[in-house]
Amino acid sequence: MGTETKTTRLKPPDKRGCSSGMMLAVAACIFVVASVPGMGQEPKPDPAGLNTGDKTTVVDAGGNAFVITEPADKTAPDYAQKKKDFDEFQAQAAKEPLALKLADATGHIRVATNFAWTLNTGYLVLFMQAGFALLTCGLVRKKNAGHLMMLNFAAYVFAFVAYYAVGYAFQFGAVAVNAAPGNLGGTPTLNHFLLGSGFWGFLGGKGFFMVGPAYDVGSNVYALFEVVFMETAGYIIVGAICERISFWSFLLCELFIGAILYPFFGCWVWGGGWMSQLGNTMGLGHGYVDFAGSTVVHAVGGFCAMALSVILGPRLGKFGRDGKPRAFPAHNLVYVVTGTFILLFGWMGFNPGSTLGATDLRISVVAINTNLAAISGAATAMLFWYWKFGKPDVTMACNGMLAGLVAITAPCAFVGPTAAFIIGILAGLVVCLGVLFNDNVTKIDDPCGAISVHGFCGVLGAICLGLFADGTYGAGWNGVGATTYLGQAGRGVTGLLYGDRKQFLVQVMGAILCAAWAFGATFIVFKMVNALKPMRVSAEVEEEGLDVPEFGLSGYPEDAISVTAS
Amino acid sequence: MKKIEAIIQPHKLDEVKEALIGIGVEGITISEVRGHGRQKGHIETYRGTEYKVDLLPKVKLEMFVSDARAEQIIGALGTAARSGKIGDGKIFVSTIDDAVRIRNGDRGEAAL
Repeated sequence: MGTETKTTRLKPPDKRGCSSGMMLAVAACIFVVASVPGMGQEPKPDPAGLNTGDKTTVVDAGGNAFVITEPADKTAPDYAQKKKDFDEFQAQAAKEPLALKLADATGHIRVATNFAWTLNTGYLVLFMQAGFALLTCGLVRKKNAGHLMMLNFAAYVFAFVAYYAVGYAFQFGAVAVNAAPGNLGGTPTLNHFLLGSGFWGFLGGKGFFMVGPAYDVGSNVYALFEVVFMETAGYIIVGAICERISFWSFLLCELFIGAILYPFFGCWVWGGGWMSQLGNTMGLGHGYVDFAGSTVVHAVGGFCAMALSVILGPRLGKFGRDGKPRAFPAHNLVYVVTGTFILLFGWMGFNPGSTLGATDLRISVVAINTNLAAISGAATAMLFWYWKFGKPDVTMACNGMLAGLVAITAPCAFVGPTAAFIIGILAGLVVCLGVLFNDNVTKIDDPCGAISVHGFCGVLGAICLGLFADGTYGAGWNGVGATTYLGQAGRGVTGLLYGDRKQFLVQVMGAILCAAWAFGATFIVFKMVNALKPMRVSAEVEEEGLDVPEFGLSGYPEDAISVTAS
Repeated sequence: MKKIEAIIQPHKLDEVKEALIGIGVEGITISEVRGHGRQKGHIETYRGTEYKVDLLPKVKLEMFVSDARAEQIIGALGTAARSGKIGDGKIFVSTIDDAVRIRNGDRGEAAL
C-alpha cells in the first residue's frame, strides 16, 4: 500500500492530525479498493461520472477525511490510535446511516466544484494561446505577420495531436501511483509506469489515445487542464524561431514537444515520477517542487527554443559583419500590449487553477502573488530600460511582466506577498540582462525574447521557490512530512531563507536538469533533422518575408504591392 | 503657369489646406511620402539595439496655378506650414508649358 502515503503536486493543503494522515491519495486508493471487488483487479473508469465523488472525497477545511480507513500496517507506532479511530467511526456510521448518505452527496459536490474550477481555469489557460499569437505577431516585422499567426495556430493543433496520442499517457499514465489528484477524485485508473516503478518512475504507461482507463470523467478534467499547459510550452518556441523556420520543420518540433520533450519531464515532476519523490528516496526536502510550471512548462519551452534558435542561426542581417546586433522593430505595439494583457488574464487560470480545486482556498493567495510578481516584473524592466537607454521600451516592459509571471509560477503557492514582489523584481532584471546577453554575447537571435522570458526566468522561478517558500502551505507535499516537518506540525514546503537547505539544493539541481534536458534533447534530435534536410527557409524567402512563399497569402494583403518594410 | 510642389510636416496639412482654400485655390493633389532632408533622421533604440529612423513620413502637395497667383499662394503656404523647427519642409516652383482639360479639350490657363 505504498501508494497511500504519497501525495501529489496538487494535493490539498492539509494540516492533518494523525487521524487524517492518509488523506492525500486516500481518495484514489479507496476508489481502487472500494470500486472493484477483490484486490489485484484494475479500477474501472467512470465515463458517465456517476461514481466519482462520494463520502470518501469529503474532507474538512484542514484536509481531514470524513471517512476513516482501517489502518493496514499493524507495526506502525500509532496503529492502536488509528484502529481506535477507525472502530469509533464504524460504530458512529452504523448508528447514523443518513449521515453517510449526506456525506456521499457532499463528496459529489466537492468533486463537482473542483471539476468546475479546474475546467474553467483550463479555459483561461487556453485563451493564453490568443495572447501569445498577438504578442509574437506584433513583435516581428510586417512581412512575416501571416507566418507568425500560422505558427501559433498550428502549434495548438499539432502539439495537441501528439499529446492526445501518447503525450498524456507518458506524462500522467501513472499519476495515481504517487500523485493522485485527490481534488478530482484521484484518477485511480492511471496507475502504471512504463519505465520504472514505485518512487522511481520515469514514464507513465496508461491512457494512450485517451481511451480505456483514460475514458473517465476525472481523467478527462485532468487531460484538458494539462494539455493546455503542454500547449504553452509548445507555443513558447515560436518567439525564438520565427521569421526563418520552414513550416514542415516547425510541425516536427510541435510533435516532438507534445509527444516526448514535455511529457517526459512532466512525468518526473508532476506525474508522480522520480524527481517528485526525491524527498522520500533521498531526503531532499519535499522532492523537486514546481507548483504550476516555471520549469515543467516554461523552462522546457524556453530551452527547447534556445536549442532550435542555435540550430537555425540568426535571421539574415540581425548581426552585422562587425558582429553588432541590428534592430528589427516590432510592427504592431497594439498587438504586443493587448497580447500581454491576455496572457496576464490567462495566468489567473494557470497558477490558481493548479490547485486543481476551488476547495483549496489557497487559490486567493496564489492569484495575488501572481499579480504582484507581474507588476513588479513589468515595473522593474520598464525602469531599468528607462535608466539604461533613456526611454522606456514597451516591448521590454511587456517582457518584464511575462518574466515576473514565469518566475512566480513555481513558487506562487508557497510564498507570501513580499516574496512574490521580490521575485518579480529579480525576474524583471533577469529578462533585461538576458535579452542584452543574447544579443551581445551569445549572439543567439531571439526575436521575441522567449529564451530570456521563459528559459532564464523559468529556472529563476524554481530556484526562488527553494529560497522563499515560507512553510505555510504544502504540508505532506509529495508524501513528505505528512504530520510534521522540520519539527513542526503542519509545516509545508520550506525554502533556504526559512531553514530548509535541502529543498534549495533539490530546486537548483532540478532546474539545471530541466534546462539540460530541454536543450540537450532538442539539440540532438533537431541537429540530426537539420542535417538530413535544412530546417531554414532559403535566403530569398527570408528577404521577401515568409507569408507568401510559405502560405501564399500576405498577413496584410493590401501591402503586397508596396515596398516590403524590413 | 506654375507648378508649386511643397513637402511639409503631415500634422501641418490641415492648416495648409485651410489657408489655401481661404485664398481661393481650387485644385490640390496630395500624397503621403517618406524622406529626409539635411537632418537625415534620428537614432532610436529598440530592445537595447540602436537603429536609424531616416525616412520620416511627410506630405507632398502639388498645385498648378496661373503666374499671377503663384506668389500669393507660395506666401500663404509657407506661413501656414511654418513651425520654425527643423523638418518644416520645402517649396519648389517650376514653369509649366501647357495644360489640358481632358473633359472638353481646354488648353493653357483655361484648363486650370
